[in-house]
Amino acid sequence: MNRSLVILIGALALGGAIFAGSYFTARQATVACCTRPADDLSWLRTEFHVSEADLARIRELHEGYRPKCAELCAKIAAKQSELNSALGGGTNSTAEVGVKLDELAALRAQCQAQMLQHFTAVSQAMPPDQGRRYLAEMQRLTLGHHGQFEHSMSDEAGHEHHH
Amino acid sequence: MKENHQFSDDPQISTLLRQARPAPELPPRFQQQVWGRIEEAEAPASSGSWLDGLANLLLRPSFALTAAAIMLVAGVLAGTLDGRQAARHDAQMNYLASVEPPAVR
Repeated sequence: MNRSLVILIGALALGGAIFAGSYFTARQATVACCTRPADDLSWLRTEFHVSEADLARIRELHEGYRPKCAELCAKIAAKQSELNSALGGGTNSTAEVGVKLDELAALRAQCQAQMLQHFTAVSQAMPPDQGRRYLAEMQRLTLGHHGQFEHSMSDEAGHEHHH
Repeated sequence: MKENHQFSDDPQISTLLRQARPAPELPPRFQQQVWGRIEEAEAPASSGSWLDGLANLLLRPSFALTAAAIMLVAGVLAGTLDGRQAARHDAQMNYLASVEPPAVR
């Protein structure tokens, strides 16, 4: 092979190795340094520039919300297993399945309402601008994907009708 | 032979001979072309192809060190930026997992 080509390929490989090595080392170091897995609220502190005083208030709200959320989650899980049992019962249990689905949907709606209420309370504990941004972001992150799913389903249904 | 030597030493005969020799017509820009060829021959041995030029450049210690330093700094910068994004995303997911139960997703 041409000597110059070997030099060029070697230089490219060496340059790539230097770039990759420094990239992965710096990335690992940054992730290790900036992530605080023990603190659920670290994202709020960095993303919404929440002061220590506001963060203490938010932490209080957060700690108060968690048990209520866990209680509803347990109810949803229990209802889900009831629904699974009803579904496993055979084809004559349509009415019972319908009732269980309604109850499950009601519990989920209750859980979502409680969650939104918590987001509103947290947003009010922040400076107004950050609070509005937080609320919008949380609605997008939590309820947004349901909307996207329904939207994609309705698009697909529309497509089917056109065919 | 002896007679021939005697003639060649004679300046008058030499002058006559030089005048009698026909001087050929030089092509246009002959002198310029000659100097061009001399300069070309005296130029440092350039390999001719861009690949050889690039290889020669890469083998220069100052260039190699500068290029390595640039790659190192670029890697550190890109890694730091990406790491910050990843840490931000992890923190966001961590918070989200603590407030949005999987049952309602």
